[in-house]
Amino acid sequence: MDPLDRPESLKEKFESSSSSAATNRETSTCAPWARFSTWLECVCVVTFDLELGQAIELVYPHDVKLTEKEKTSICYLSFPDSYSDTQFSFRLRQSVGRVSGLWFGEEDDYNRDVPLILQKELAHFYGYVYFRQVKDVSVKRGYFQKSLVLVSRLPYVQLFHSLLQIITPEYFEKLEPCLEAVCNEIDQWPPPVPGKTLNLPVMGVVVQVRIPSKDDKAGGSPTRQGQKENLLPAPMVLPTVHELDLFKCFQSIFIHLQMLWELMLLGEPMVVMAPSPAISSETVLALVSSIGPLKYCCDFRPYFTIHDSEFKEYTTRTQAPPNVILGVTNPFFIKTFQCWPHILRLGELKMSGDLPKQVKVKKLSKLKTLDTKPGIYTAYKTFLHKDKALIKRLLKGIQRKRPSEVQSAILRRYLLELTQSFIIPLERYLASLMPLQRSVTPWKTPPQIRPFSQDEFMATLDHAGPQLTSVLKGDWPGLYKRFFRSANFDGWYRLRHKEMTQKVECLHLEAICDADLLSWTKDKSEVEIVDLILKLREKLIRARKIQLPVKDELLEKLESYIQTVISSLPEDLQTVLHKH
Amino acid sequence: NSLTCIYNKTCLADTGVGKSSIVWRFVEDSFDPNINPTIGASFMTKTVQYHNELHKFLIWDTAGQERFRALAPMYYRGSAAAIIVFDITKEESFQTLKNWVKELRQHGPPNIVVAIAGNKCDLSDAREVSEKDAKDYADSIHAIFVETSAKNAININELFIEISQRIPVLDMGGSSGVRGLKLRREPSDVTRERTCC
Repeated sequence: MDPLDRPESLKEKFESSSSSAATNRETSTCAPWARFSTWLECVCVVTFDLELGQAIELVYPHDVKLTEKEKTSICYLSFPDSYSDTQFSFRLRQSVGRVSGLWFGEEDDYNRDVPLILQKELAHFYGYVYFRQVKDVSVKRGYFQKSLVLVSRLPYVQLFHSLLQIITPEYFEKLEPCLEAVCNEIDQWPPPVPGKTLNLPVMGVVVQVRIPSKDDKAGGSPTRQGQKENLLPAPMVLPTVHELDLFKCFQSIFIHLQMLWELMLLGEPMVVMAPSPAISSETVLALVSSIGPLKYCCDFRPYFTIHDSEFKEYTTRTQAPPNVILGVTNPFFIKTFQCWPHILRLGELKMSGDLPKQVKVKKLSKLKTLDTKPGIYTAYKTFLHKDKALIKRLLKGIQRKRPSEVQSAILRRYLLELTQSFIIPLERYLASLMPLQRSVTPWKTPPQIRPFSQDEFMATLDHAGPQLTSVLKGDWPGLYKRFFRSANFDGWYRLRHKEMTQKVECLHLEAICDADLLSWTKDKSEVEIVDLILKLREKLIRARKIQLPVKDELLEKLESYIQTVISSLPEDLQTVLHKH
Repeated sequence: NSLTCIYNKTCLADTGVGKSSIVWRFVEDSFDPNINPTIGASFMTKTVQYHNELHKFLIWDTAGQERFRALAPMYYRGSAAAIIVFDITKEESFQTLKNWVKELRQHGPPNIVVAIAGNKCDLSDAREVSEKDAKDYADSIHAIFVETSAKNAININELFIEISQRIPVLDMGGSSGVRGLKLRREPSDVTRERTCC
């Protein structure tokens, strides 16, 4: 189907279909910036003021409220030590007490239908930065330095950096009207809906992108829309809103992929020290995404500075390092993070022949001076063995000059299969904790889900462990044991448990609707019947409130049941019950 | 419907001459006398059947206000056609139209189809630009010319049909052809009554 508009009934010549991709703000009833805010929180321009230092020059839309703390963080996080144009990302915690927009919330449709890793952040913002520094004699400092920052709750790193590439060079030339125009165009964009291919017009270009859906087949590349249209100018088709070029991100560390994957899976405290914010932020985001479809549940900061409001919290020596991953560029951090268990030091990429030079695993004690060499500084011993076949395959790809996207696709698939091999036994065990369907009866409260027992799970590994889907050898049980202590397990378990509880509630509701309540009430006392009505009502309200995934008809059926039962009661009671 | 043609167009002109009204009349077949000035640009699409072909128009309706003047190239540079609008009751808007033509010739895509719309032809009592002058000028630059009224729905579809006929269909090797076009507005007086589009 044509993504730009719906081919409606085509009548006679030129009397025909129309649809406007843009909403008409004049006639639309949505609040100002309602559409804009489904994509972005705001756009900021950060500049260097001789007296103030880094300062926000402009925020658009003008009425967006950022707290002073947020503003300060954005200023520092958007202003790297860099000598040319650079793009990178950061993530910051939103101030306490801030009311998140109307659009968000746990039961949000978007968050419900999108893969976990693409959910809207509820307590953090992403900042996507385009920073420019060029010599400019007309400025006192001798340099033009400015950043354009897109602030969003969406982790669409590719989309927003592509957008920055389109708008920033124009903005630096044409200034505020340009930003005003862009924000107004974004305010005409359709909202992000999982599973939809969207056309996003901006500055004379139509960016076409698909928002992934939770129902997409894992690993399969999303189906491109069937018929390709030849637009002129061709729309800028982005293959993904969020996926990074993994091979590029991991090119000097891919021989340690297994170790890095384990560290991410376990949510270990980690610092990525990189030569630039671009490299630090891409590496951190790539690492975080490496355990997808599992959600990385710890805090991560693609670019972190000493000015960050969490700096003290994260670097206090009185406690063990927090379970976070921080991307930094300032060599001063070597001292600060000396007690951290895992430090990935990246340098500028070096080639040995055709091959990107791989960093080595080094002892933490070697970590001391400011000119610490690239390497993974850790005492960590991996649970799983290295996959030599993967490394060979990647190396062969390099020799054959295989395009980076293809290498990335290999890596992505590999990581996905690895994570799935790890998670499938857990999913299978969890499914066995569900009560039997026949134990769900309308006459009793819904049955309990059996508690998760680590020992019981471990006992399943012999016959139904990861060896069924992965050839990798190693201490899988040890990895699971450690995983149980991580925030990622906790996050995964909570979510699954919630889904299962809802499933049981659904089954219970269905059982109630299938039961013959009226004949059950025949030999019951009034008290019991009233009690039943109140309980059913409570169930109905709850189902609607938490948007239980049941059909509307089912809820309507329940509602009419309640009415029928009420009408079987004496009239005075009926009046009372109708009032409530 | 063997052929789909897609046009990217820019609508250019000063503020107040009726660019957005023309686009709205074409896309939605409606008219709002109190339409707000465009900010930046509005993007709209419309698919119409013409003979045996489907024509799809991607329309960038640009802002006419002076502060957005410098943004126009972003929109017309990728367009197959530009509609330049002037207000027949404002001589000044006809003069600024000529500046837009010059700019397009200098900085626009080489084969951009130019269409001139003399809008507000329902207000012929207040006419300041004669149809002949405008037609002669359009002919001299090989541009399409029509007098339109977005308010009374005069010549709006005709304008777009003419444009689609002029745009060369690119052979994309398949059954679908492609054309692109953008619209721009013309500068004129903001204080003019908006009801007279």
